[in-house]
Amino acid sequence: MNKLDIGTLLASLIHESKNTVGHLMFQTQTAKSNFPPSDTMYEQLDNIESDLKRLNDCWVEYLYLYKLASNGYDIQCDTYAVDDFLDEQVFVLKPSAKEHKIGLTFICDANLIGIFDERLLISVISTGFYNALRFAHKQIIFKAEKVDHFLVISIEDDGCGFDNTEDDGCGFDNTEDEGSVLTEYNTSLGLHFAELTAKAHSNNKQHGYIEKASSETLGGASLKIYLPQ
Amino acid sequence: MTTDYSKQKALIIEDMAEARILQKKMLTDFGFVDIDVAMKAETAIELLKSRRYDVVFSDYNLGNGKDGQQLLEEVRHSELIPNTSSYLMVTAETSIEMVMGAIEYQPDGYITKPFSQALLQRRLQKLIETKIKLYDVNQALDNKDYRAAIKAADEALKTYPYLESKCTRIKGDCYLELKEYDQAIELFSEAMADRKMPWALFGLAKAYFFKDQYDEAEPRFRQLTLDNRFFVNAYDWLAKCLLKQNKKEEAHATLLEAIEKSPKAILRQMELGRLSMEMGNYDVAEGAYRKAVFLGRYSVHNHYSITINHLKTFLGMAENGQLQTKQLDSFQSSVARAQKRFMHQPEAKAQVYQTEIELYLALNDLQRATLSFTAWNKDISSNSALPPPKEFEAACAPLLGIESVGDSNE
Repeated sequence: MNKLDIGTLLASLIHESKNTVGHLMFQTQTAKSNFPPSDTMYEQLDNIESDLKRLNDCWVEYLYLYKLASNGYDIQCDTYAVDDFLDEQVFVLKPSAKEHKIGLTFICDANLIGIFDERLLISVISTGFYNALRFAHKQIIFKAEKVDHFLVISIEDDGCGFDNTEDDGCGFDNTEDEGSVLTEYNTSLGLHFAELTAKAHSNNKQHGYIEKASSETLGGASLKIYLPQ
Repeated sequence: MTTDYSKQKALIIEDMAEARILQKKMLTDFGFVDIDVAMKAETAIELLKSRRYDVVFSDYNLGNGKDGQQLLEEVRHSELIPNTSSYLMVTAETSIEMVMGAIEYQPDGYITKPFSQALLQRRLQKLIETKIKLYDVNQALDNKDYRAAIKAADEALKTYPYLESKCTRIKGDCYLELKEYDQAIELFSEAMADRKMPWALFGLAKAYFFKDQYDEAEPRFRQLTLDNRFFVNAYDWLAKCLLKQNKKEEAHATLLEAIEKSPKAILRQMELGRLSMEMGNYDVAEGAYRKAVFLGRYSVHNHYSITINHLKTFLGMAENGQLQTKQLDSFQSSVARAQKRFMHQPEAKAQVYQTEIELYLALNDLQRATLSFTAWNKDISSNSALPPPKEFEAACAPLLGIESVGDSNE
């Protein structure tokens, strides 16, 4: 290595850390199998597993973010039943929602078909979800619909909404706190990731984009990802 | 709907002990009873040759040998797994691009590590549900009844519109199998009209290739190499297309580029060896065939002819006066290894002797040629080598000043 490339260095560090997180998750699962689901130990391990998953999802986001930002990702689109896809995202994120006592559901026409890069979208949805989790009071929903030539996937919550600066740290009293500054940075990084992902999707010269709106259903923030179809 | 896995046969291919144990436990929890485990690709191939599995569960990273993608390509290419079975690839976030980017041979599904038992169960369930929905299609494909497969795909589409891209791709491939290229072109072009899907572009390029319309095929194969750096097979197709147009130099360069990206593909090394030989580039040919011999040890494509071709690259050098002492040493040790390896293959052994004698004759080393001829005779009498072909014998016996083997046997 002639010149220390901080990007590559961080990416490889993340890669290694991700492996460790994966290993911890496997161990937690093994440990969990020693207790009946009714045991409090089981519940605690469940929570550890959710947190590890969150950490893992975070690393995945950074890996893709790095790849997208450095032009190192070849987008691979396929056709999916969106209903199935969202059902799976709810399925994998539900334990985290439950841990925070937040309800998580999705709304989507059963026949909706979408073309997108599945791995990127999984990561964008989990990123959006963890972000919403910090602001939601009781409920988060994923929505999908087709508007003109776009598939619109939105992540909505019942928090204070983007207008009330959900994207720059609403809900934190002490803005001097270093933690909240970093959280804020993390949120905008998440939005940036969603934007890069949307932009990477193109069809017939149309590119994807994101929109920060308010949720008609829940009243909080709604992050909309537009993907050309 | 939950599937009854108790009657299904599963194969786990995973090199890490810990993951192997955990995955086996997960499958047992799902209800699988019959589970085989392979620690590496080579073992998996042996198992797949002898048994039919309903579910194959392979890791991408398999240690030092073949990786999961190469295994999949070999298994699909050799039809070691029926279309009705499910192939699930376990990958890391960093390798998934390589797996799904390899358009020609893809697994039925994938799951990225780390995953929970619940997610695996769900993915497996979905995979099997899709296999059930496409059962008639896949069964027809297994029977190579492509007409029936097209019909079944049309039927499946009516009930499950979301399977459109999968079914269209299958139909297009069936038209290619049936050599109905115009139909294939129409279908793939239609699919491309909505969106540039790599499989449709690939199908289109192949259809033009088979129609001998190389000017149409070439830019499309080239586009595929540009669009997706993980679709290395597109380079192989591009090289084939260039060869058909007699653009040997370009084809050679294309193959070299592909090998640089993915050196472990035996068929690619063999093709590079063959083309380099044809072009008189014996150095490159020698390297390519040497790697092919090495890769062949655990491959279904293994055949003694690869070794013979490797030896013939040295013969090429000798005939052109290019054989260095170091290369002669390398030739001799390759011959020795080959004789040992082909102990029970009289046909292969004979060809090794023949190449050896031809090389010594090319070097004018009559002494070594005679020694080899004597050794060959000995092996013929113990039935461990076939006798030389008549023409060869007739040509070289006088040079060596000895009676031909055939005569001495009479």
